[in-house]
Amino acid sequence: MKNLLEIWFYELREMLHDEGILIFVVFVPLCYPLLYAYIYSNEVVREIPTVVVDDNDSKLSRDYVRHLDATPDIKIVARARSMAEAQRWIMRHDAYGIVHIPATLDLDLQRGEQTTVGLYCDMSSMLYYRGLLLGATGVTMATNRDIKLDYHLGHTTRRADEINAMPIDYDYVTLYNPQSGFASFLITPVLMLIIHQTVLLGMGMHMGRTRERWGGCLFPLRPEFKYPVTMVLGRVMVYFLLYMVWAFYSFTLVTKWFGLPQLGDPHVFFQFIIAYLMSLTMFSLVMSILVYRREDCIMLFVFISVPLLFLSGISWPYSAVPEFWKAVGRIFPSTFGMNGYVRITAMGATIDDVMPEYTGLWVQAGVYFLIALLAYRIQLVKVKHRDKLYCRTA
Amino acid sequence: MSSWLPEDFRNILRISGREVQGFSHRPLFLFTIILAPVIVVIFFTTLMGAGLPTKLPAAMVDEDNTKTTRELVRILASMQETHFEYYFDNFEDARKAMQEGKIYAFFYIPKGTTRKAMSSRQPTISFYTNESYLVPGSLLMRDFKTMGELAGLAVTREGLYARGATPRQAYGIFQGIVLETHPLGNSVLDYSVYLTNMIVPGLFIILILLAATYTLGYEWKQGTQHEWLKMAGGSRIVALTGKLLPQLLLFQLMFVGYDVYVFKILEFPCRCGLEMMVLWSLFTVIATQAFAIFMFGLFAGQMRLAMCMCSLWGILSFSLAGFSYPVTAMDPILQSLAFLFPLRHYYLIYVNQALYGFPIHYVWTSVAALLGFTFLPLLVMHRYKAAFDHIKYRA
Repeated sequence: MKNLLEIWFYELREMLHDEGILIFVVFVPLCYPLLYAYIYSNEVVREIPTVVVDDNDSKLSRDYVRHLDATPDIKIVARARSMAEAQRWIMRHDAYGIVHIPATLDLDLQRGEQTTVGLYCDMSSMLYYRGLLLGATGVTMATNRDIKLDYHLGHTTRRADEINAMPIDYDYVTLYNPQSGFASFLITPVLMLIIHQTVLLGMGMHMGRTRERWGGCLFPLRPEFKYPVTMVLGRVMVYFLLYMVWAFYSFTLVTKWFGLPQLGDPHVFFQFIIAYLMSLTMFSLVMSILVYRREDCIMLFVFISVPLLFLSGISWPYSAVPEFWKAVGRIFPSTFGMNGYVRITAMGATIDDVMPEYTGLWVQAGVYFLIALLAYRIQLVKVKHRDKLYCRTA
Repeated sequence: MSSWLPEDFRNILRISGREVQGFSHRPLFLFTIILAPVIVVIFFTTLMGAGLPTKLPAAMVDEDNTKTTRELVRILASMQETHFEYYFDNFEDARKAMQEGKIYAFFYIPKGTTRKAMSSRQPTISFYTNESYLVPGSLLMRDFKTMGELAGLAVTREGLYARGATPRQAYGIFQGIVLETHPLGNSVLDYSVYLTNMIVPGLFIILILLAATYTLGYEWKQGTQHEWLKMAGGSRIVALTGKLLPQLLLFQLMFVGYDVYVFKILEFPCRCGLEMMVLWSLFTVIATQAFAIFMFGLFAGQMRLAMCMCSLWGILSFSLAGFSYPVTAMDPILQSLAFLFPLRHYYLIYVNQALYGFPIHYVWTSVAALLGFTFLPLLVMHRYKAAFDHIKYRA
């Protein structure tokens, strides 16, 4: 125990004296969540600039356009006389959608036939498509209900009209992220990813530091470093304790400041985060064995952030992830960590609800602990062997 | 600075040779510049191979359980994107399944729906989507919304048929206006086209930035910067060019391979022709390398800071390029800041050229910006002088 504390204290001092590590494990976890939340603070895309090509120009078509303009999603920026003219608005990025109303709109409707309104969406971002589709679908459906009453069924009492227009009503409830906001969706899991990546980078650089100073050895060649167990736990504890602070910072302050979904029970979170950080620090220690020079860790770990986000099923539905990549995803603590965290904080899940993730993390922690022990053991034997040789020759 | 002599070219080649030799026995570095890009391309193209995710798990809660609702359930179950994995008979079970992450959405038909519909008392059915997972949530929402409308229309249709309307007339009455959607440039809503085509170049950009700052910094770290400058005949431009030339060729080769793979083999839309995309990728690689030289100069040879800055820049690119969340919806400060990210310009050019095949002059600012990046190193040449003269590697 005393040995463990000695090593812990030594490693803590090493970390505090290294400006490079401190950037990763203090500055980045502190500022990155704020930066990301700021980027996505508007949450949704509103008032998407749209051009109308109204070949009909009747009262009905003008009403239709006015209703489109009144939706929160669409803003009519121009009325073009031809599709070619409208297309130029798209080319210039002055508009992201075109609504084309056919010349026969009111004639078709008078005859009791269907007519087609065209909606052309810029696909450079899915959110434009989503917004345009939502806005235009809503207006079209409402207009259809009016047409049904005005042209065909005739009006009676107001209540009867409502029922005739919509015999079965429907409700649409967006659970856990009522405004369908981008920040609420993305930032919540990204908070865990930031923790994941900065621990990897920090511990990677820490290993690079040790290796550079001690001739490529995994641990400092000092008398107190003699048991693999205490060496592993000593370093892991430094980061585990520090990241407990960052985890709670994300869970409480960041979530609160930026109005992210906050249904999580602190006790559940506490239980879960222990598993996540144990698994993560053990994993990072094992990964850091790959690092020989301080800066290597940046080359190795930075670019995997984005693939990790996709592996976890946050950006891409997990049900559509191929089996092989699902298996790869189970190697990384981030997959379980992000999913578990989203479900706990955004959806109010209990530990039972996230049991597969929770057990997954502990299994990872165990496996990586054993690998780390083994690596340190091998290194220790090698060092001893070298020392013996050295003694003999000397 | 001396004018360009044949001797300079020889120096450039000599430095490049030294560079290739130096790194051919660093497995880690080789991994990140050769293997990592290949893995990334394979990863994203296979991960999103399905294009538009279909059969997303959802649940159906039919508390009413009558002939009418069962028929409705059957119609809904046949829609393309939805896959009712579970059928529950109460609301609580469905909510629980959602919390456990088994389903992304559920449809809820409360008790008494049929009775109310028959007696014209306007029942309400509901659907719930989990918007914590935005992509599956939105896809299911679109389907469910159609379903919600259909449910009501089914009832009206029966009434109209009973009054002797033909199907054509009936459709004219209950769905007068049909909205026909034309997603421009990506008509099948292939997510892979829109995500892979940005994320892979984005990751290439990160690797280019890091590889450049890493190899530059390595000279200072090993204390070989003077030897290197001497090989360049004292010219900093020659030194830098020689050093980064092998990486330029390597990454350009990667980019060409990638372009051929996605545009020719996977047949992603490319309306400007493959050779134009190859040209734009060359612009991007050069601009990015120049940006890395600029960053490194800005921190006057502080390898770690330059690499941190480049990581920050590279990772932020994904947000500020604006392909997932549009830049136009961001804070005005960020809108102007986006101009400083090479990926943003690559994105605008890609959309204009490959996706739509529009004339290039509509995005001339982005082309100019990429060219502008290429000249950034000139601004920090004096910092390199200082770095060569008296800066030492600092951990």
